[in-house]
Amino acid sequence: MAKTLVQEFTKGLWAEIPPFRLVLGLCPTLAITNTLENAYGMGIAVTFVLTFSNVLISALRKIIPPKVRIVAFIVVIATFVIVVELVMQAYTYALFLKLGIFIPLIVVNCIPMGRAEAFAAKNGMVRSALDGLGLGLGYTIALSVLATFRQIIATGALTVYETPITLFGPAFEPFRFLVEAPGAFICLGLMLGLMNILGKK
Amino acid sequence: MFGDLAVLFFSCVLINNILLIQYLGNCPFLGTSKKMETATGMAMAVVFVLVLAGIITWLVELYVLVPFNLKYLRTMAFILVIAALVQFVEMFLKKSIPALYTGLGIYLPLITTNCAVLGVCLLNIQEEYNFFQMLISSFAYSAGFGLALVLFAGVRERILLARTPKPFQDTAIGLVTAGMLSLTFFAFKGWV
Amino acid sequence: MREIIYMVVVLTGISLASGGLLAALREGTQERIDQQVLEFVKGPSVRAVFKDAANDPIATRFQLKDGPTVRTFFVGEIEGAFRGVALEAAGKGYKGEIGLVVAIDTQTGNVIGINVTTHSETPGLGAKAKTDPAFAAQFNGVPVSGPAKVTKDGGSINAISGATITSRAVAGGVSNAFTVYERLKPQIEQKLKEIRK
Repeated sequence: MAKTLVQEFTKGLWAEIPPFRLVLGLCPTLAITNTLENAYGMGIAVTFVLTFSNVLISALRKIIPPKVRIVAFIVVIATFVIVVELVMQAYTYALFLKLGIFIPLIVVNCIPMGRAEAFAAKNGMVRSALDGLGLGLGYTIALSVLATFRQIIATGALTVYETPITLFGPAFEPFRFLVEAPGAFICLGLMLGLMNILGKK
Repeated sequence: MFGDLAVLFFSCVLINNILLIQYLGNCPFLGTSKKMETATGMAMAVVFVLVLAGIITWLVELYVLVPFNLKYLRTMAFILVIAALVQFVEMFLKKSIPALYTGLGIYLPLITTNCAVLGVCLLNIQEEYNFFQMLISSFAYSAGFGLALVLFAGVRERILLARTPKPFQDTAIGLVTAGMLSLTFFAFKGWV
Repeated sequence: MREIIYMVVVLTGISLASGGLLAALREGTQERIDQQVLEFVKGPSVRAVFKDAANDPIATRFQLKDGPTVRTFFVGEIEGAFRGVALEAAGKGYKGEIGLVVAIDTQTGNVIGINVTTHSETPGLGAKAKTDPAFAAQFNGVPVSGPAKVTKDGGSINAISGATITSRAVAGGVSNAFTVYERLKPQIEQKLKEIRK
């Protein structure tokens, strides 16, 4: 059942949205969703890596011998991850420090690797690009929603760009638990359950 | 010095548990924790690979990346080392301990994409550990991962017998439970 | 056999292309990255030691060659004159290197202030070298002729309780800074003259 080009893009936004429907890319989801800025920053970084590596791997798919394909994928993905690292260090150093170890970890984020194997290796460049963009954008949205929820309830403020904007007055009692590890797990679990409920309808 | 290393050991295993507190290694965590056997197999494999990977990546940083001013290629170098190491481990186990090889099955190559492995290798460099600290850190972090994994598998096997609402079955309830587990490890924070 | 050669060729090709791209990007961004590191990592410390300075010590800086090393000096304008210089130094701490910024008043020959930039010391103990301003303040006014030593070694600096090694390391780092300063003093004076023009 072939998808139209538009569908290749939109599937990443709902039907196959990571990390909820497509259970990939969980590691950073928990760590990075403590502020909105971190969430969409990471989302954009992953989208960049995913799209470019998808396109390049798709372009090379007929040349790469099957036995070494995993190594080849790793080299391609790692290259774009390092590109992101250098660009972030040069232009968004503060965000780079906040995302820390999770930027190089994009290379083992199951999304680029998973898509390279499952999609880019078998499809044309245009489709691969749309797949990457769609899934990446969906991932960014998912992370941002989770982060917005966590940050607002846990600290009463929202960081859209650099400085947190306090949304509630001093009477607000923050539910700090959500910004720490246990809260993250529980929040993600509840959101996943919610997505499942919405999906069934 | 030994007191210090002991503190490092406990903080890596419990207080800063790589999985439940530092969020690294979640993908395989949720995937392999459904049954006790796969969980223990994965735990042992991770300990083995991570200690070796820790040593090799630490040496690569010291003798290749720093002298040749290639620190910006660290991500690439480390992941290739890990991938190669996992391949070798696979071949070695296939020939020497075939029982373990078949037991681990698909989970062995999956260790390559385990964020905890690359994560700990990068942490060793970031924290500027010396050789002994790196050894303790690699072993302790992987032991902590294994501990969390096995504990979780035990809990999950029980959950399978409980009546969970349909949308929450499998991964969702797994995450919520992981949160509870994480909360218990949180209690260790005040220790050091 | 041909299969293996093909695999090697393809992988080498990809690796070379990747290496080329990354090396080029690295060249292109190097300067900007150094600038950012300066602003974010060293910046706060340099600004802290020169908190009474009228200028921007990060912007007013020069470099000198000290043997094989290139050292950066940040200049602070104090009481109307460009007389404060801050240089980086380091001491061997409990768990690794402790990075320092030491600001010296070239007219009086005394320390203006010191600040710890990077360290891996124990939180609550050695880390107090960075978090406790009273510890660093002890170095204010110490002459470049020295000594910068903890009381246990015959000096005037009170070590942080429970963190003798860390305290010694900071004192050692400051002493190193003194040695470098004395060694490069003529060139420093020369550079300051140029800036004053």
